[in-house]
Amino acid sequence: MNKRSFIYEDAPDENKFSACVHCGMCLEACPTYQETGMEMHSPRGRVYLIKSAAEGKLELNSFFRHPIDTCLDCRACETACPSNVQVGALIEETRGQFFQADPPRGLSAFLHRLFLHKLFPYPKRMRMLGSLLKFYQKSGLQTLARKLNLVKVLPDHLAEMERALPELKRPPVLASGIEVLPAIGEKRASVAVVTGCVMDVVYSDVNEATVNVLRKNGCEVWIPQNQTCCGALHVHAGDREMAKKLAKANIDAFLARDVDAIIINAAGCGSAMKEYGELLKNDKEYAHQAKQFAEKVKDVSQFLLELGLIAPKASLNMTVTYHDACHLAHAQGIRSEPRTLLQSIPGLNLIELPDADRCCGSAGIYNLTHPEMAGRLLERKMDDIPHGCDAVAMGNPGCMMQFAVGVVRHGRKEEILHTVQLLDRAYREEERLQGGEQRG
Amino acid sequence: MDKVDKNKLNAFIQFAKDLLGDMYVLHRYEDLVAYECDAYVIHKGAPSAVVFPADTEQTAQLVRYLHEHEIPFLPRGAGTGLSGGAIPLHGEVIISLTRMNKLLHVDYLNRRAVVQPGYINLKLTHSIAAKGYYYAPDPSSQASCTIGGNVGENAGGAHCLKYGVTTNHVLGLKLVTCEGDVVEIGGVPDTPGYDLLGLLTGSEGTLGIVTEITVRILKTPQAVKTALALFDDVEDASRAVSDIIARGIVPAALEMMDKTAIEGVENGNYPVGYPRDIEAVLIVEVDGIEAGLQEQIDQVIEVCRQHRVREVVQAKNDAERAAWWANRKTAFGAMGTISPDYLVQDGVIPRTKLPEVLLKIRKISERYRLRIANVFHAGDGNLHPLILFDARVPGETERAVKAGSEVLKVCVEVGGSITGEHGVGIEKMEDMRVLFTEEEIAAQTDIRDVFNPRGLCNPGKMFPQPARCVEVKKPASMEIS
Ligand SMILES: Cc1cc2nc3c(=O)[nH]c(=O)nc-3n(C[C@H](O)[C@H](O)[C@H](O)COP(=O)(O)OP(=O)(O)OC[C@H]3O[C@@H](n4cnc5c(N)ncnc54)[C@H](O)[C@@H]3O)c2cc1C
Ligand code: SF4
Ligand code: SF4
Repeated sequence: MNKRSFIYEDAPDENKFSACVHCGMCLEACPTYQETGMEMHSPRGRVYLIKSAAEGKLELNSFFRHPIDTCLDCRACETACPSNVQVGALIEETRGQFFQADPPRGLSAFLHRLFLHKLFPYPKRMRMLGSLLKFYQKSGLQTLARKLNLVKVLPDHLAEMERALPELKRPPVLASGIEVLPAIGEKRASVAVVTGCVMDVVYSDVNEATVNVLRKNGCEVWIPQNQTCCGALHVHAGDREMAKKLAKANIDAFLARDVDAIIINAAGCGSAMKEYGELLKNDKEYAHQAKQFAEKVKDVSQFLLELGLIAPKASLNMTVTYHDACHLAHAQGIRSEPRTLLQSIPGLNLIELPDADRCCGSAGIYNLTHPEMAGRLLERKMDDIPHGCDAVAMGNPGCMMQFAVGVVRHGRKEEILHTVQLLDRAYREEERLQGGEQRG
Repeated sequence: MDKVDKNKLNAFIQFAKDLLGDMYVLHRYEDLVAYECDAYVIHKGAPSAVVFPADTEQTAQLVRYLHEHEIPFLPRGAGTGLSGGAIPLHGEVIISLTRMNKLLHVDYLNRRAVVQPGYINLKLTHSIAAKGYYYAPDPSSQASCTIGGNVGENAGGAHCLKYGVTTNHVLGLKLVTCEGDVVEIGGVPDTPGYDLLGLLTGSEGTLGIVTEITVRILKTPQAVKTALALFDDVEDASRAVSDIIARGIVPAALEMMDKTAIEGVENGNYPVGYPRDIEAVLIVEVDGIEAGLQEQIDQVIEVCRQHRVREVVQAKNDAERAAWWANRKTAFGAMGTISPDYLVQDGVIPRTKLPEVLLKIRKISERYRLRIANVFHAGDGNLHPLILFDARVPGETERAVKAGSEVLKVCVEVGGSITGEHGVGIEKMEDMRVLFTEEEIAAQTDIRDVFNPRGLCNPGKMFPQPARCVEVKKPASMEIS
């Protein structure tokens, strides 16, 4: 055998790629293959290249790197693969090799350090950034900046994101400093909630809705104050060092108390946290705890159904369609749960989105690194939304952001919401009506 | 055959880039590696370049250039072929048809559809299902394979027992000949003269490149009933198969898997929950008009009971039926969960010989110390023994290939054939000698030479060449030079 090209720690696991029998059943499931029709942009092709590199036939150069980088890590191939090949993990491990062989330089290094090392891991800094953003929006600076065309200096996609950014109405949940919130009604479980780094700043109303829905369902909610970013983006980018550090910090934070479940409302973070066991499998000190932690992680929709949902009584007269976030459907196998939750809301008419589980192109920061491919996927998604929908529901902040961009770019009217936000609305409506009855 | 000359190749790459645009021409080593093989992985060879034409005209121009400059080439669809038909063993230029992936026209009145060759098999059924139609040939790879590739291999599928294989559904073809001319063949029913459509379907890319296909579409059957039967003995299961047919029932599908195959699918991504100790599972499906269909499936169940079935059930709903089929149709891929590599054979045998053949296969398996799983289109006697091996273990690949050839010999001995639907490709070239005499082979290569006079279009496939035979290389030396 020739010299192997993967010489760094956490090399792509031979057992993972030898499970691939090159059958091609995954080809058409892959969004990048659907777009290009090229083998190296398919799951089978990527795994084959990884295998070839492991055998020493390919070097870690930019031509090999390209197809590895264009992978969305959406895991649609894993749903299709009869042989359970863990394509996502192989891609992440390969990116890890590139990250070590050829660390980011220049602007991308700066951005990587800024976001993934200096901001996301620090809730306080994220909050500050949030306050700045809010100040920017509220102070009239946003209006001014738009008038003066200052946003023009941003790259196209960022400029669109700036326009699509939801108005930051609510302070981050973590910032409230409240650690434990009691169950509403009879206590049925005690849970810890992951607030997420970006989620808590940009979509803190989703976190609020999550906490409220959990409490309404009899959960005592604990919000560990020293939790940090989940590390998903670091793993995707190949920065496994940092990802491991963050994972350990979270394990320490969440295992400090014995709860029934650790609840997460962001699909990407959820699947990364469910994979802590895999990430830290070679760590002597943390391997066991990582597994323990991973077993407790539950997506909010999954947990509510396991617990037995107390269905809202008030009705929401809306037509809604549901988009399957890749990291819910493909990575965690969660498809029916969110749909069941939505269908339990009286009056809500759920219609299916064609190809609901095809990636929207958000894929972590893929929409920033590969705007062209991301744009093509987003356009197909927007075209697929059935006519007459009031809202599109989903379970991942990255997708919500991407859809929000789509709504702006394509001049659409649909509300973009997290599944729990609709549930929360129904509960609040119920409270309002009850309040009305009591008063009246 | 020598590798393509560097200067000649560079000139072609420039020509192709000017014609198609830079992004549709691959020529870097890293990109070409991904095209070293199709779903047959025992032989490998990287192409000199891969080009992606957008339409018939571009395909014709590419072929004309290649023909003029004597550069060998081959067409490729999705690359799910199981006999190596799309492997550029000698560095051929690959003409990939994945960009030509449109449904051009559906004529419901006359029940036909026109597709480009890169159109995915299952997409056709999806596109016309709402109007109550479907495309019948359903290879297990139908979610990924192209209709052009289906024509190339004359693909079959689980439901071809009742409805026939690809050739029974092709009404017309547009072909870019090996010299780069565009011709149309068929199109009207029963064209007088020789049946060229029949010749081209299953020609494995050796007679030209298909760029448009007119296929028959069928009305979706009014009703479908499916039974699943678990047996403790393979012989009992095979007798049940023969008996079902003997009763005059024509099932839409009649499929069987043995114990090792069941182990694979149950470890895979789509398990049904079969008990691990059963020896064989049968899936029997009948379809047609609702009236009388339940009686038919009842009869099937009755036959199974007469043959000591352990358990037999009828699908309660579409979801259950779909789960059984997803499990069966992913059987090949699922072998990855019990073995890093497999070699799938494609023998055809008279149904009644199944117990005898299975016994002989078991002996071969023992002799070569390799596990063999059997997946079987039982209704039409098309057997798929999957020989499980590990290419990393020195000598195992060679043993698998030898065991495969022996299996095919057994099939021919009992009055069968060496391929039912996967084609000859590279894999079974030498085995053609088991079935045909030298003269019979020469007669066929003479026909090929009429269509493919310079031998540039998918050379060295399908027929053994007197002067050269393919040797198996060890994985370590399977790199491209
Ligand atoms: C898991 C699995 C299950 C399978 N199940 C079945 C099954 O049930 N039944 C069955 O019959 N097969 C089956 N196959 C084999 C394979 O899927 C079929 O042979 C299929 O028809 C190949 O289509 P493709 O698009 O992948 O063609 P490719 O593999 O790309 O090409 C196949 C051959 O056709 C030629 N070709 C391709 N396109 C054209 C064209 N436009 N014009 C002329 N020649 C062309 C190629 O040169 C090659 O020789 C299976 C394969 C796998 C991996
Ligand atoms: S993760 Fe998504 S983009 Fe990457 S290979 Fe799999 S299907 Fe394709
Ligand atoms: S990843 Fe899975 S589906 Fe894709 S080629 Fe490999 S074994 Fe087949």
